[in-house]
Amino acid sequence: MAPRTQLKRKASTAAAEAEAAAFSDSEFGDGVLEGVLSDDSEDEENSDDEAEDVDGQDEDLDSDEVPSEEDPDEKEDEEHDGPRYRVEKDANGGERYVYEEIDPVYDSDDSDAQDPENTIGNIPLKFYDQYPHIGYNIDGKKIMRPASGQALDALLDSIEIPKGWTGLTDPATGKPLNLSQKELELLRKIQMQEIPEEGYEQYPEYVPWFTHEEEKMPISAAPEPKRRFLPSKHEQQRIMKIVRAIREGRIQPYVPPEERDKEEDEEEEMYDLWANEEAQPPHVMHIPPPKQPPPGFDLSYKYAILLPLSAFFLPNKEEKKQWEETDPDEREKKYLPASYDALRKVPAYDTFVKESFERCLDLYLAPRVRRTRLNIDPNSLLPKLPRAEELRPFPTVGAVEYNHGSRVRSLAIDPSGEWVASGGDDGAVKFWELRSGKQVASIRISADEPVNAVKWRPGSAILTAAAGQDVYFIVPPMLDQEVQQASRAALDAGFGYATNGKTATLTSNGNRKDPPGTWARPGARLEDQGVLLKITVRADVKVINWHRRGDFLLTVSPTGQRSAVAIHTLSKHLTQIPFRKLPGLAQTAQFHPSRPLLFVALQRTIRVYDLQRQELVKAIQPGARWISSFDIHAASGDHLIVGSYDRRLLWHDLELSARPYKTMRFHPNAIRQVKYSRSFPLFADASDDGTIQLFHGRVHNDLMTDPTLVPLKQLKGHKVVNNLGVMDIDWHPTNPWLVSAGADGMCRLWA
Amino acid sequence: MGRIKKKGQSGAAKNYITRNQAVRKLQLSLPDFRKLCIWRGIFPREPNNRKKANKSSTASTTFYYAKDIQYLLHEPLVAKFRDQKALEKKISKALGRGDVTDAARLERNAARPEKTGRPPYTLDHLVRERYPTFVDALRDLDDALSMLFLFASLPSTPAVPAKMIARCERLCLEFQHYLIVSQSLRKSFLSIKGIYYQATIQGVDILWLVPYKFNQRVVGDIDFRIMGTFVQFYMTLLKFINFKLYSGVGLVYPPKFDQSRDESAAELGAFTLEGNAAKALADAAAPAQITNGDEEKSTDPKTQAAVNKLIKQMKNTGVERQQDVVTTSTDAEDAAIDKFEPAAPGGDILPQPVHSSGDPGSLFANCTFFLSRETPRQPLEFILKAFGCKRVGWDAVLGDGAYTTDPLDPSITHQIVDRPIIQAAQEASDNQSAQKLGPNQRVPGRTYVQPQWVWDSVNDEELKRPDIYAPGAQLPPHLSPFVQSTHGGYDPTIPLEDQEPAEEALADSDEELESDADEDEEEEEEDEKATAKPAFKAIKGASADTMDVAGSEDDEDEEDGEGDETFGGFSEGGDAEEDDVEAEEEDTELQYQKELIAEMTGEPVAQKPALNPKAKAKADARKKLLAQAKEEAEDIERAKGMLSKKKRKLHEQMMYTNNKKSAEDQKLREKRRKLEKQKAKKASA
Repeated sequence: MAPRTQLKRKASTAAAEAEAAAFSDSEFGDGVLEGVLSDDSEDEENSDDEAEDVDGQDEDLDSDEVPSEEDPDEKEDEEHDGPRYRVEKDANGGERYVYEEIDPVYDSDDSDAQDPENTIGNIPLKFYDQYPHIGYNIDGKKIMRPASGQALDALLDSIEIPKGWTGLTDPATGKPLNLSQKELELLRKIQMQEIPEEGYEQYPEYVPWFTHEEEKMPISAAPEPKRRFLPSKHEQQRIMKIVRAIREGRIQPYVPPEERDKEEDEEEEMYDLWANEEAQPPHVMHIPPPKQPPPGFDLSYKYAILLPLSAFFLPNKEEKKQWEETDPDEREKKYLPASYDALRKVPAYDTFVKESFERCLDLYLAPRVRRTRLNIDPNSLLPKLPRAEELRPFPTVGAVEYNHGSRVRSLAIDPSGEWVASGGDDGAVKFWELRSGKQVASIRISADEPVNAVKWRPGSAILTAAAGQDVYFIVPPMLDQEVQQASRAALDAGFGYATNGKTATLTSNGNRKDPPGTWARPGARLEDQGVLLKITVRADVKVINWHRRGDFLLTVSPTGQRSAVAIHTLSKHLTQIPFRKLPGLAQTAQFHPSRPLLFVALQRTIRVYDLQRQELVKAIQPGARWISSFDIHAASGDHLIVGSYDRRLLWHDLELSARPYKTMRFHPNAIRQVKYSRSFPLFADASDDGTIQLFHGRVHNDLMTDPTLVPLKQLKGHKVVNNLGVMDIDWHPTNPWLVSAGADGMCRLWA
Repeated sequence: MGRIKKKGQSGAAKNYITRNQAVRKLQLSLPDFRKLCIWRGIFPREPNNRKKANKSSTASTTFYYAKDIQYLLHEPLVAKFRDQKALEKKISKALGRGDVTDAARLERNAARPEKTGRPPYTLDHLVRERYPTFVDALRDLDDALSMLFLFASLPSTPAVPAKMIARCERLCLEFQHYLIVSQSLRKSFLSIKGIYYQATIQGVDILWLVPYKFNQRVVGDIDFRIMGTFVQFYMTLLKFINFKLYSGVGLVYPPKFDQSRDESAAELGAFTLEGNAAKALADAAAPAQITNGDEEKSTDPKTQAAVNKLIKQMKNTGVERQQDVVTTSTDAEDAAIDKFEPAAPGGDILPQPVHSSGDPGSLFANCTFFLSRETPRQPLEFILKAFGCKRVGWDAVLGDGAYTTDPLDPSITHQIVDRPIIQAAQEASDNQSAQKLGPNQRVPGRTYVQPQWVWDSVNDEELKRPDIYAPGAQLPPHLSPFVQSTHGGYDPTIPLEDQEPAEEALADSDEELESDADEDEEEEEEDEKATAKPAFKAIKGASADTMDVAGSEDDEDEEDGEGDETFGGFSEGGDAEEDDVEAEEEDTELQYQKELIAEMTGEPVAQKPALNPKAKAKADARKKLLAQAKEEAEDIERAKGMLSKKKRKLHEQMMYTNNKKSAEDQKLREKRRKLEKQKAKKASA
């Protein structure tokens, strides 16, 4: 209905305006027209608005109001500030506010403007019959009575009845009440006796909710039980259970959590935990945590004595830098000592929390070990040694030098202690006066072979010297005639036996067996010089040793296989090979100083043989890889020193064990010779490093007391030539003096 | 013949158990195991032979003593942990089903099993088991106190709940109250880390560290859960110890705690100690009521009335009762042991515990203190009260609980100040000073001291001279009272001459000689000296004339010594000195040979006449000393050569640590010597 009217009105806008103008001029004030136009404009488009504005202005000009009032209004209109209304006079001459039109633009609140509706309420419209309007719209504007009653229009309407025309007027709007298409359709359906509503099923499928058949007998004939009318016992039980729980306190009334926390605090009961304490001895395996050390001076907040100079007591720059550079975990101290001149200046300790955390970790994570801390003077560990004065005398300095000229392989001091004999690479044996260092004699016993060993016969003035396979017996020419005579007699005594060669035995295959040693005169030239006797053995002799009585002589030739060790009897000019077979290479051998025992040093072991019973008594194992020399303690006969090429000096107590009592490794190079002093508790060794080491070695008579070994001195002086230093040493028989033979061709007396 | 022993059936293999094995055996999670270990005090061990303990495996593992773990099996807490685990499973299952209310109910029940409102477990039995006697517990209190005092000053975080902090604080304050009442604090020390306190309770020395009142910085990865576990145990421990201590002196535990006063930072003042009524009746000697300083203000009128009534009742019974702590202490003095003086000479002297003349507990008894607002109130309040001071007042900004907050209170005898003297503000208006004091103004008749005065007085058990500690004065050094002086160690309290060994003194005097000769050289030399043995260095660096005098004999000795020093393979290090000496050796060798010959022949060695008698005497002394030192060193070297390898190593190790320690002391003495010399120079100039 509405769109139709609008369309129509649009088409006849101009006409209507003219009409209205005429109408209003004749009947009403100009304001009324304005109201009508504004009413319409709400539905119309912008073009209409413009037109309306034009109209409004025309209207203003026409109005009989004072123009002065109008101007500011217009301005306000344009500027959109100030009151949005005009004050006009109404028909009765009273003031009247005319409000401006609200233009519902796109984003205004009033987006869905509704059709103008009469707001007069539920009163008969005839009340307005005498007015040009029929009510007010929501804006308080008059709703003008629609134009009606034009004869021509009525005629036209009567000729062309629009669809849905009823001929009635809508009491609410006063417009003709037409029926809508829907209503017309409904009417049509009613007229045609059709079902007015679409989709309504007139005869739906029947659902048999209840059986239509009536049962003859009831399903259960039991009467209503009594329990239906009594309170439940089971429920009673359940309730009582809860009641009991509440009474016993098993169920407690609900308490909000915060209150509960509070209670918790208060509920802690206190009692004497140690009321009936009884001490228990701590478990053996329990290790209490170590306490943290008490703070020292350097932790003080004020450490310095004097403030301006505090830098001295505090860590200086370098120390500080060093501390900062080290890793925090590796710092010796976790803090730097500091000094503040007042308590208020002390800052917070940065790592306090960290340190206590680390303490916690230590307490539960660090493995604990019980360590016995030796809170003793470290020097109390040291053995009680005799004082240095008690150890004297011992040789300390090189006193005399003897220049042999070539490498000295061996040397020996004669039993009287006045002469020194030395044998060198040049094949000569030289005799020296011990104290002065003067050479008294020189005998060249071999042209091409070096003299490997020299040894004095105990108790007499006979020197044995070994060069190559020959052992020479020399009576030195510088001695007294009487002594010489006695010596010659001793040497010649054996010739009477003439065992030499005659006792040669046959071997199993019939060959004539080579004698183990041939005794002979060395030749006229040597005999003139005092060399009176010569033994030739099967291999090169390296070591000569005499029996203490001076009758037996021992030669060792390491390359000699089974005949490596030979025992010679001087009085009978007899040579014997004591061993059918040796378990290794014989290095050196020696008679026991007091008992009939023979010590033979093989490469790794020293074997002790009983000469009378002809059996092995003991095998000593020094643990060295290659024994170079050994010596037996003369006084006790139970102690042994062993020198080895693998730089070890070993002290053996024969009573104690086959293993060394002490191992001394003080040399950087091989040890060539070891010797006990015969008259002092001293022993010495000679090494390839050119030094001689001197030890105090006292053997006690008491078997329970261990021997005292004290390193005394290193004697340096010999030069190292071709990796050879000191070749041989010998002690003076009566004085604390030592002679040494050097690879540099010098012999020295140390006193 | 015994049965053949199988490997891994006895000994270390059975005695030790690895951590993983232990966890598996106990069927616990690793965190639970850790907790248990911390609470039970179970710690890893280091077996003598790891290989034997670990079935020949050499993998690095942690070992526990098997019996410790065996013991844990019966620990009721293990069952609790398992229950907890089961409950957690239930909750997670409920959550998995989406049954939130069920989960919430379960969780609520977890907080109070059997809905009794009790916490799931307590650690009481652990305390008892770990410390069968009270003294055992006291012995292990060091760590507990340090940790609790630290936690009391930490800010609250999710890892450290505020409740725990508040509890720690309360326990610590309660413990402090006990120390005040029993007067068992002995020493205290201001260090750069914090304040150390030492108390003696039942003959056990307890030392703990309290941080300064600063916000603690948390650096690095610190696991507060672990610390929290420790603190949980320590709290239980201290609670019971406090109870025992309080009941021991006839006080009610816990003491009344005033929440409102605590909120106004009263700290110690928030507690009101009450006598144990039942005990007081039973035990006549017990004090009826002991309150901290300001009882009139702090006590609740009701309790006061009750106590008064009690006192009256006790008086009526006609029994003489002492109600004051001070009087009880006099009683204790009567019970003190007598001094045994030898009546006749010749008897052995038995050591007796020394009873100091002045009772340290009443050191500050007659003083009234006022703490300026810049001083640390908490430690000062505690230490002053612990040493008998009854009246400690402080500025109102420092919190509640002061004896007086009025700085002009006429009863104040001592004021502790820690601010510099401001020179400019001297002419502050005089007329209005009645109300407010100017920056430098003093109240007459009052002693002004710096805080260190309190600590030094406490440690020396006598009131120190206040003028040394006056505000703005240069304070004397604050020395640790815990250091026990050892022979040869540096002790700042003793003059230098009394503690330096002879050789150092000689080196020192030698230095003086040099310094007379030329000043410049000294500087360089001393730098050198700091790194090496001073005695030897000083000799080497000595000026030419002194060298000549000493030279001949010294070098003989030196070479002799060196010969023996390098004797064996044991001194392979080869001292640096030796190299230095080498050159000199060459020069002196000739002379030395000459001397030997002279010695043998019996002629006297020609000596150059000494230049200066003083220098000569010194040189002689040094020579003698050096010779002696050489000889000793020689002897030691010789003896060392006779030791077995193992013992030699041990000896060397001991010597190393000893030398290291003495080198440190030497360095300190060096610094002090230099300092004193400069001081003397300044004085003379």
